[in-house]
Amino acid sequence: MSAVPPVDAGAETNDALKGPPAGFGLAAVIAILFNTALAWAENVDEPLNAYMASLSGDPWRTHGFAAVAVFIVLGYFFTSRGFRIDGSRLGALLVAASIVAGGGLALWLVLI
Amino acid sequence: MNDVILHAHPTFGVLGILASVWVFVEALNASEANRSRVRVAAFVVTACMLIAWALGGYGYTVLYAPEKAIILAGPWPWAHNFVMETKARLFFIPLILALYLPIAATANIARSRGARIVVMAAAALIVLNGLAIEGAGAVVDYAVSAGFVHNGITGAQ
Repeated sequence: MSAVPPVDAGAETNDALKGPPAGFGLAAVIAILFNTALAWAENVDEPLNAYMASLSGDPWRTHGFAAVAVFIVLGYFFTSRGFRIDGSRLGALLVAASIVAGGGLALWLVLI
Repeated sequence: MNDVILHAHPTFGVLGILASVWVFVEALNASEANRSRVRVAAFVVTACMLIAWALGGYGYTVLYAPEKAIILAGPWPWAHNFVMETKARLFFIPLILALYLPIAATANIARSRGARIVVMAAAALIVLNGLAIEGAGAVVDYAVSAGFVHNGITGAQ
């Protein structure tokens, strides 16, 4: 008799993510952090801000397109490379990235 | 027409938040029976956030300049310098998560605990960021009114 309960065949043991949910998930984490980094950069680098304005007529528009482009391009890249990750780890990364990026944005704009 | 755009922007933001709550609840009760509903709800979130982006972008880049001047001349200049500037860039976080949500929902969340965690995390983050952004919009709106009063401008409404 074992003290360890038998593994239930119907139990949820599949934590791993693969394919687009994994690849685009990591891309979302990076794009969220990139969004804050770009906000910092365009605030301190006036030539960059002017260049971004010249691309779409307003730096904010270019900022948004760049963040979405990073998400899409990296998503396809990681997916094509067969990236895998545990769902619980990816969920934690999404939460951490959002806290760091949101807090970083607010703190930066308080300081400048 | 501009007033319609300015009011439709937060409206679609709220609808996106509500749809994210819908996704969260469906994922919390994930089963084979509600797989298609989760995906539909995730697409509703994406559609609402994309529309909110387009409308808010037009408002911010085309219509906002006069209101910005009124805010900066009023008693709450930080409502632009801090609140609006943070809000405008913070918006891209829930936008990216909203674009990701239907992709995450392609996984079988009824059978994969990992997929369910990711879908719930993304939906919850959209709700929290969205509520913060809606609140920031209210502060900016109030700062415009305060600016009008402060500068003795009447009839602007």
